[in-house]
Amino acid sequence: ILNSGCNNNVKGKVKGCEPRVLSLQNILSLILFLLPASALTTGIYMIFSTKPEMATQEVQPNETLTNLKAESDTLKTKLEDERAKLHDVELHQVAEKVDGLGQFIMKTRRTLKGHGNKVLCMDWCKDKRRIVSSSQDGKVIVWDAFTTNKEHAVTMPCTWVMACAYAPSGCAVACGGLDNKCSVYPLSLDKNENLAAKKKSVAMHTNYLSACSFTNSDMQILTSSGDGTCALWDVESGQLLQSFHGHAADVLCLDLAPSETGNTFVSGGCDKKANVWDMRSGQCIQSFETHESDINSVRYYPSGDAFASGSDDATCRLYDLRADREVAIYSKESIIFGASSVDFSLSGRLLFGGYNDYTINVWDVLKGTRVSILFGHENRVSTLRLSPDGTAFCSGSWDHTLRIWA
Amino acid sequence: MGGIPLSEISHTEKLPLLRNCGRCVETIMSSKMQSSNNTAHARRTVQQLRIEASIERIKVSKASADLMHYCGEHAKYDPLLMGIPASENPFKDKKPCTIL
Repeated sequence: ILNSGCNNNVKGKVKGCEPRVLSLQNILSLILFLLPASALTTGIYMIFSTKPEMATQEVQPNETLTNLKAESDTLKTKLEDERAKLHDVELHQVAEKVDGLGQFIMKTRRTLKGHGNKVLCMDWCKDKRRIVSSSQDGKVIVWDAFTTNKEHAVTMPCTWVMACAYAPSGCAVACGGLDNKCSVYPLSLDKNENLAAKKKSVAMHTNYLSACSFTNSDMQILTSSGDGTCALWDVESGQLLQSFHGHAADVLCLDLAPSETGNTFVSGGCDKKANVWDMRSGQCIQSFETHESDINSVRYYPSGDAFASGSDDATCRLYDLRADREVAIYSKESIIFGASSVDFSLSGRLLFGGYNDYTINVWDVLKGTRVSILFGHENRVSTLRLSPDGTAFCSGSWDHTLRIWA
Repeated sequence: MGGIPLSEISHTEKLPLLRNCGRCVETIMSSKMQSSNNTAHARRTVQQLRIEASIERIKVSKASADLMHYCGEHAKYDPLLMGIPASENPFKDKKPCTIL
C-alpha cells in the first residue's frame, strides 16, 4: 500500500488514466526499438555535436531511436555526475550549529463550516482575512476568516472544483476543475448580485484543471491540468499566451516564484517530476525526479532559491535550485500516508504538510526533524496555505471544513 | 485502454469517471509515422537534457549556508516561529476580562 503509485492506494482525487498494461502503442515502440540499428553513427553525431539550435535542421534519414536513446542515457548520467560532484555535505549537517526549535503550540482558532462536501482547494486574499475555497460539490465560497462569515458563494456548473485562487486585487476569484476550464468571477460588493452572471471563461484544457494561480496582476492566470500541460492565459481576452509541455502525465500543482526572483514557476505531476519553467520562453529549465510517487503540492521557499514538494510517497522534499538537487527529505517511518499540500512559514524555517492521515506535520526545514503534529481534521487534509502576513495558516479537508491555525 | 481496474477502487472513494481522458486515446498509426514520432520525442528529450546538463551549479554547502542565513535573517519577523502575543494576532482570542 505504501509506494505503489497510482494503483492500490486510492488517491481520491481525479487523475488521468495511466496505462498500466502494455498498450498497442507500447508494443509497437518496443518492436521498433529492438529492430537492428542501420544508422550511420557519424551522421547522427554530426547533428548532435552542433549547438542545440541547429538540431532543428533536416532530419538525417539514418537517425535512429537507439542512438538518440544512447545519447539521452549519456546525458542523464552526466547530469547525475555533475550534481553528485557538488554534493559535499547534507543540509541537516550544516544546520547542526543552528539552535533547535522549542515546543510549538498551534491550535485551531477558527473553523469554517458551510461546504456540503470535500474541500479541495483554498487561497488567501492579500488583505490577510478573506479566503476563497472550493469543494467537490461544485461550490466556491468566499469567507471572512476573522468572523467566519460567508461573503459570497458561487455554484459552478461542474463538480470537483479542484482549483481556486484569489486575484491580487482582491476583486475576483478564479476556479475550475472537471469542467476543464478556469473561470474568473469578479466579486461584487452587492451581496445580492448573482456572481455567476459575470463569469468569464479564461482557460481551456483538454482535461481537468488541477491548479490555478494569478500572476502578479489580475491580468494573467497560470493553470495546470490533467492533460499534462501548464498554460499562461490573458484574463481579458482568454488568449493563450504560453504553454508548457514536458510532463509525461497529469500536472497536479504549481507555484509561482516570489516576485523578486523573476519569471519562473515550478510544477509537480503524476510523472513524479517537479519541473521549473521559464514563463517567457515556455522552456523547462530544471527538472527533479526523486519522488517515488505523484507530487501533489509544490511551494517555493520564501527566498525563491528552493522549493518544497509533498507527494503520495509519504515524504516532503526540499530542492535547492542553485545546487540543482534535492537537499532534504522530510519523512518518518510512522508516516505512511501521502502528503497532499505543503507551505513554508514566513522565514522558511518551518514547513507545514497536510497529509492523507488527517494530520498536519510541522517540520524544521533546516534540521529535517518534525517539530509538531497537529490533529483536528476528521478526514484527509487536501489543501494548506499560509496567510499573507504569516500570522496563521489555513487547512481544508475532506471533512467539509476549513481550519485556521495559529 | 489502460487504467485503474474498477475493482481496486474502494466503494467509499469512487473516482468520478473522466469523460474526456485525452491521454488515453489510442490512435492506430502507420509504423513509419510511429517511428518518426518516437524519434521526434527522443530528439526533444535529448535537447532538453542538454539544456539541463549545461546549467551552472553551486555546492550544497554553499546552498545550505544561504538557506540557513535566510532563515536566521527573517526568523524574528516570522509570527508562527516566534509566537506573537494574542493581542497582536487577529486569530488568537483575546484574554477574556474577568469581572471581580
